[in-house]
Amino acid sequence: MSVKSEVMVKVDNLVKSFGNVVAVNGLSFEVKPGEIFGLLGPNGAGKTTTVKILLGLIEEDSGEIEVFGLDPSKEEVKVKDRIGYVSEDPLIYRSMTPRMLFNFISSIRKLDEKETTEKLKYYFESFEAVEYYDKLIATLSRGNKQKMQVIASLLHEPDLLIADEPLTGLDAKSAKVLKEILELHTERGGSVILSTHILEVAEEVCDRIAIMDKGKLVAIGTLEELSVMANKAGADLEDIFLKLTNQDESITHIVKNLRKMLGNNKK
Amino acid sequence: MKNSELYKVSKRVYKEAILHAQLQAAGSNQQRFLERIQKDRVARSQNIIFKFMAAVYIASLVFLPVISIFQIYLNFGSNPEWITFAGSLSFSIFFIFQLVILIVFALMLSWGIMSGGPYEWVHTLPFNRNHIQKIGLFTFARSINIQLIVMSLVLPIGVTTAVSLAAGLYLGIGKIFLISIVSIIISVLNTIFNLAVLVILGRKLAIVMEEYDFNSKRANFVRISTMVIYLITSMLVVITIQYGIEKLPILFQISPLTAGSTSIMNIVLSFIAIPFSLGYLMTIFLVDISMIPSLVIVGSVTGFLLYILLVYLVTKKALKTLRNISSPDIKRFDPKRKKTVVDDIKIKSTTPTRAYMKRDISIITRETQQIMILIMPIMIPVYAAILGFTGAFTVVLGNTGLTDLYIVLMFFIVMNSFILSVSLTNIETGGETITASLPINPREQVKAKLPYFFSIIIVAILVAQIFLVSSPIFYPSLYLTLAFLPVFPLIGISSLLFKILLFGKLKNKFAVEEIRVKYKIYKYILGFVFVACLMALFLYTAYVGYWAIFTAEAIVSVIVFFSFNYMFPKAKWKVKYIF
Repeated sequence: MSVKSEVMVKVDNLVKSFGNVVAVNGLSFEVKPGEIFGLLGPNGAGKTTTVKILLGLIEEDSGEIEVFGLDPSKEEVKVKDRIGYVSEDPLIYRSMTPRMLFNFISSIRKLDEKETTEKLKYYFESFEAVEYYDKLIATLSRGNKQKMQVIASLLHEPDLLIADEPLTGLDAKSAKVLKEILELHTERGGSVILSTHILEVAEEVCDRIAIMDKGKLVAIGTLEELSVMANKAGADLEDIFLKLTNQDESITHIVKNLRKMLGNNKK
Repeated sequence: MKNSELYKVSKRVYKEAILHAQLQAAGSNQQRFLERIQKDRVARSQNIIFKFMAAVYIASLVFLPVISIFQIYLNFGSNPEWITFAGSLSFSIFFIFQLVILIVFALMLSWGIMSGGPYEWVHTLPFNRNHIQKIGLFTFARSINIQLIVMSLVLPIGVTTAVSLAAGLYLGIGKIFLISIVSIIISVLNTIFNLAVLVILGRKLAIVMEEYDFNSKRANFVRISTMVIYLITSMLVVITIQYGIEKLPILFQISPLTAGSTSIMNIVLSFIAIPFSLGYLMTIFLVDISMIPSLVIVGSVTGFLLYILLVYLVTKKALKTLRNISSPDIKRFDPKRKKTVVDDIKIKSTTPTRAYMKRDISIITRETQQIMILIMPIMIPVYAAILGFTGAFTVVLGNTGLTDLYIVLMFFIVMNSFILSVSLTNIETGGETITASLPINPREQVKAKLPYFFSIIIVAILVAQIFLVSSPIFYPSLYLTLAFLPVFPLIGISSLLFKILLFGKLKNKFAVEEIRVKYKIYKYILGFVFVACLMALFLYTAYVGYWAIFTAEAIVSVIVFFSFNYMFPKAKWKVKYIF
């Protein structure tokens, strides 16, 4: 295994608007091979929009994007062939069974039957999902749908895994399995872009973190670098995040008011 | 709590019931359905559209008793036995159709109410059991209020008006008043009976839909059957109206049976509570009772008493069901789930085009609205052919057997092509991110849609052809259809490409799904006009001669071929993975 590119993803001054709303405003970052890159931000920060632009699902207004040295808006198919994507909502074909779904994915990606079957068996056993292989996806729980989505994103051994809240709905064991898979993936030279709200997860698995707020990049670096930026040496990511997104004062205010209101209505 | 307040609460439960039923009907595509109702106002008002459609159908059926009444008074002296039979038959068909229409259009919603699901939330609020039962009754009444009003009024109004016009002077006010009262009694009883049947069937359907996995084959079968029955019923009503207007007067005038046979038939049928006793009773009051055999009168009265008994029993059961569904004690259904042992996790790959075809089929066959893609295009031309066969169209144009009926059929083919293009591309607009993240070459996606244009439209026109077998234009139409065989897929594929051009043009490629949705309505109109113009061109060549048809087919084929390859070029890449 050898890494052929020094940078997996390069985003420079990315801008994307929807009508009057600027979803992403001048975003720049790079993702290197073998790293788990965290994208953090409150709701509406522009994380999902960024991820969709990287996948070529939506087109940017301006800025430069390179994924594996390619422009995803022009060479969408080539880019997607090397990316695995786990979306926030497991929107997979509910009318299919996992058997039908993985046959479909394997056909589209033109994967080797024997090799893929082995991988599929391994993943289904690891996620304890074998019994759902012939169930309709519509009847599966949120967590089991998420497992199917995760397996679908890993089956072709992508160079870059883009995961938007991948742990949502997973039980503790499956979440641990997935974290191990992510680590293994990066050890082999692959990269991960992890978009999440769960700060503990980002703190635990990410090598570098970019904090976004209102479409802009607020800070980028390792946990130590971020804590220096926030003037909170030794603080956990939650404190750093709230400080850098200017939410710390607002939280103090909300908690104060909440105490006041509930305190006045003692049972 | 006052009834008026409970009635207000029932509005919220009713809306919940509608959503519950619509989600069940959407089956595996609930997410797609939710996306659609968020964006589409019409989809949100689907139940109101259905209510009004049912009401219009029920009201329009009144022509059956009205024409019968006119015919009874026009022909009664000639053959009283036969007239009694024909009159009773018309009324009986009217009653049966009323029941069928009510059930077909209200059943999907009724089962949502009958499942008990929409009341679960109400149980958590401070209402007592009696209140909740009342809310249940009010909710059901809301679901079919318009249909019930129309159903109970249409017969008395139709009968009174027709009798007054046809024999007002002859019968006198007293007799007309009596006939009106009888029609009101029959109408009210019939409405109660229909309502009770709807409640019972709604509950049965709720059990089928909720006892099993909502995506089970059984539930899917119910969804698809319901949709097919909707279509067939709608068409049957229109065909019945057209045939009725034409043939009913003939039925009254020509008796194919002997007087003895008719008499025996009348006696036997009059004893049958559903649907004949009501028809016979109504007819007896319309005609001179002295001319009706006493056994027919006895039979009608006995049949009517049996009908009342039946209404009582069915209503009792329906009321019990209605009380139960809003009760917290109602038996909830635990989906029967089998424990499956999977021992053959294995990938079976195929070509991307075939994979898309399999995926499309799995979506189409599991969504009620998508199944219309397969049914509608076949039924529409058949329907057109049936209407045309009645003799309204026979004008021959040009030298190739082109007739005015054929032009009408082709208009339906244009509609079909357009419906197919929109429906097939909408499959891609479901928001399934699993597809969005795959390295898809749109060429494979589009190729997977092409077989529908080669099969469904051609099957539709050939089936329509069957209905013209005994028509003088059958052979000219058949030869023209054979010459037109390449036209049907060409029209369909052109429609698909043009729709993608309007909705899916991106910077560097064409997407199958609708991306550029601005001016959507105008684009749809433009798409339809484009296909219609293309078809008009082919019809013009049919007017000129066979040589013109073949030349046009060759030219359009070349244009379509090059357009397809321009919009969806073959992929030329070989991916090299890091791993």
